[in-house]
Amino acid sequence: MKSKWTPFLFIGPAVLLLIIFSFVPILIAFGISFTDTNLIGLANWSKINVIAFDNYADLFSDKKFLESIGNTIFYVIIGVPLAVGSSFMIAFFLNLIGSWLASTFRVIYYVPSVTNIVAIAVVWGFLYNQEYGLFNYLLSLVDIDKVPWLEDPLVAKLSLILLAVWKSNGVSMLIFLAALQAIPRVYYEAADIDGANRWQKLIKITIPSMSFATFFVTVTTLIGWLQFFEEPFVMTDGGPLNGTNSIALFIYQEGFQYNEFGYGAAASFILFAIIIVATLVQFKFRKSDQTL
Amino acid sequence: MTVGGLLVSLPFIWMVLSSFKTEREVLSIPPTLFPQDPTIEHYVHLFQNLNFDVYLINTLIIVACSMIGLFLNTMAGYGFGKFQFKGKEAWFIVVLLTMMLPGQVTMIPTYLLLNEMGLTNTMSGIILPGLIAAFNIFLIRQFMVTIPDDLIEAARLDGAGEFYIFTRIIIPLSMPILAVQVILTFIGAWNSFLWPLIVANDEALYTLSVGLALLQDQNVTNYGLQMAGSTFMVLPILIIFTIFQKYIIEGFNVSGIK
Amino acid sequence: MLTTKKLMLALMFGFILFVAACSDDSTTEGGSSDENTITVWTMSKALKDFVPQYEEEAGVNVDVQVIPWDNAHDKLLTAVASGEGPDVLQIGTTWVAEFAEASTFLDLTEYLDDYDNLADDNFYESAIGTTKYKEQTIGIPWYVDTRALFYRTDILADVGYPEGPATWDEMINASRQLAARGDEQYAIDLPTTDPQFPFILAWEQGWNYEIGNGADNFQSKGFKEAIELHHLFYEEELSQTGEGKEFFQAFSDGSKPMFISGPWDIGMIKERAPDIEGKWDVRLMPSAENNKSMMGGAHLSIFHNSEKVDKSLDFINWMADPETQVEWYKANSELPANLSAWEDPALADDEMVSTFGEQLKSTQPLPLIPEYERLGQEILTSLEEINRGGADIDQALEEFQTKAAEILDR
Repeated sequence: MKSKWTPFLFIGPAVLLLIIFSFVPILIAFGISFTDTNLIGLANWSKINVIAFDNYADLFSDKKFLESIGNTIFYVIIGVPLAVGSSFMIAFFLNLIGSWLASTFRVIYYVPSVTNIVAIAVVWGFLYNQEYGLFNYLLSLVDIDKVPWLEDPLVAKLSLILLAVWKSNGVSMLIFLAALQAIPRVYYEAADIDGANRWQKLIKITIPSMSFATFFVTVTTLIGWLQFFEEPFVMTDGGPLNGTNSIALFIYQEGFQYNEFGYGAAASFILFAIIIVATLVQFKFRKSDQTL
Repeated sequence: MTVGGLLVSLPFIWMVLSSFKTEREVLSIPPTLFPQDPTIEHYVHLFQNLNFDVYLINTLIIVACSMIGLFLNTMAGYGFGKFQFKGKEAWFIVVLLTMMLPGQVTMIPTYLLLNEMGLTNTMSGIILPGLIAAFNIFLIRQFMVTIPDDLIEAARLDGAGEFYIFTRIIIPLSMPILAVQVILTFIGAWNSFLWPLIVANDEALYTLSVGLALLQDQNVTNYGLQMAGSTFMVLPILIIFTIFQKYIIEGFNVSGIK
Repeated sequence: MLTTKKLMLALMFGFILFVAACSDDSTTEGGSSDENTITVWTMSKALKDFVPQYEEEAGVNVDVQVIPWDNAHDKLLTAVASGEGPDVLQIGTTWVAEFAEASTFLDLTEYLDDYDNLADDNFYESAIGTTKYKEQTIGIPWYVDTRALFYRTDILADVGYPEGPATWDEMINASRQLAARGDEQYAIDLPTTDPQFPFILAWEQGWNYEIGNGADNFQSKGFKEAIELHHLFYEEELSQTGEGKEFFQAFSDGSKPMFISGPWDIGMIKERAPDIEGKWDVRLMPSAENNKSMMGGAHLSIFHNSEKVDKSLDFINWMADPETQVEWYKANSELPANLSAWEDPALADDEMVSTFGEQLKSTQPLPLIPEYERLGQEILTSLEEINRGGADIDQALEEFQTKAAEILDR
């Protein structure tokens, strides 16, 4: 039954659709990034000029863009380990506790990822409000000064990271939970016989057996954080003083607020390149990891 | 953990409770948790002003089609995870690359492609661009490592067809991760917003999310109404979640395989 | 294996629906194929229930498609890119230049005399100003809006201005007294995210944007005075820099007894702050050289390749009729662009609304250049650097001028 065509029957339909509706548009966008396409060009293609690498050259002298790269790197370095770590911990503990309780908590921890973004912006906006917010009120009880949660460029970045980790935990948690189920029980039984304690079991069995899921969550989380967009978009619109602007938000502003599609596309391919490099590095790491 | 749980779900609880507050109360500082003067006016407004029948049917069609997409994604994930073939790495890289560009950048090219194919203002035009997701293919592929190769080989020796192996062995064994996929796919499709709006030149193709967005005013955000809309939209998601989360932790049902 | 069976069944069911959905395509073709139907894109949901009257009178079907405001720009972009648009579309005044530059609209100049209600002198002068782009008429004013000063009569009376400050000098004087009332007491909430506001301040200093002068416009004295005036409110903490309290709450508890906003907030205050009824009012913008505010609102335009120009014009003509304009105001509280509609008691007898009508006569159209939004955002960025980042005004202005030159040259 199995012929050399079999795998293509499985991947064919999906890959074909993906090429038409995702890959070809990427190629078109790549072409656009070498032109001066704006709204006028979009309406009348004869007015589009090919300007080679001008967009890319301009980007690297655009202060706002460079700042957004810096901010994005900051988000990734702090956010990714935090997001992967905390969702793993939540999944791990949920897996330990009793079943009816766990199913309640699964819902609870999942709920942030389905909460409407406007509700999130309103509630977190209140929590972070410098004058009247809950966080500063609680801090005032223990005599700590008001923290400018969203009013200071550096603190605002951290505040947005906290918010994003809170929001993203749900999905990664589900993936980790599913992965925990895939660990054969016999491993733990064998370890029990050897008299291993909980900690040893976590280090020796759970974490290595889940590396396939951890790898997935890390790669997708990294990609997600490099494309960090929604939180600064609804909470700060890139401010204060451009301190929370991300590359993806920059692309949105150039491409859709100011209609500079060529420029925006060029920025997105710089982001694309960063993401590819970051992902490749991870694939390299995984190759050396013999547990998979 | 209980405290943590409460804190984590606070915005959600606030969202639900606020949908019963008057517009005045929603944003007041300090905020109230429980509505002081409960009202269902937002829900009344919602049901009176939304073309529910049309929008709901469109949304359900999109959800149903997205499940086909999920099936295709699962097939592809299995193909990448359990077969060795020529060009496998290259094809997989193509799949991964589609995840790496922010969606907004490809919006206009995708629209122009759909237009060339004559698919604008059609249901297919709304559904096709989002049918396949690299995220899902990648996720399934990663989970395929947990299925022992011996199992598949044994079935082949027994003379089982490839598609039979896939539907009768692989899918049941992948239940936990498929449950995750069903939840995520459902949410994505249920909330479809941008494509229905961009592709449709007729409100007959709008979805519930688009309908809700129409209720918003240009200058004034009606928060109570928005919370009521989100609460309404989130209910089916929670129902699907509670049904399918059982499968996530049910784990291997090896006894079912001969 | 029950679950697999269920799953397969679900998939089968889904597949059938999928096929059904695809084969259903033919029935959802755009309404424009019908000879007697015009399609209209609008962001005003109320238009749907408003057109049946016209449909009856004219015997034409009007197919209204409502688009959410937040996504209307995206939707227009794809329409422009593919050339697949409606017959009639609503266009906000701030989007006129960018889309007109891309030849989105049909030039209506030669048709203006053929219809009763389309002549320029029916409308507010600056509303007409935003319909003329490079000697073309890109649309007909539908409704207008502007900004005026909302203030608490009781609190302003305490500092000697029961009628509200009439000039910016009075405003500064009143504001200092108001801010001196104590901690967490401010004078006014200036719009921080509205790119139009810096322009309003500059116009009032006698400045105007001359299209031919490009970035040199921003070198003039009036523009700098506007920036300094703006800075004064933050430097002396007359306005709050941070997020602070919710808008209406701050207005009703008196901690921010003034703000500058549009006509929609009349209804909003009545609804959200009923306990201060009778203690607030609207007045014309304070003046410096003049008291010009901005001209906003929306026009009705015809998409460049519409095949039903006559029917579309007839519909727009009906929408521009004074009577229809009054009806539209009653239905959706949006202010008539047509001058004679303002004589109707529904508007004339409402004092606050009439104040806006008065302010509308002293308005200035925004610079009708495609780069307007970007320039506005850059000014806001510079203001943020001055007010929040402590940048020197002269230096920030100089940087802005360089930036503006770059933007306008591109």
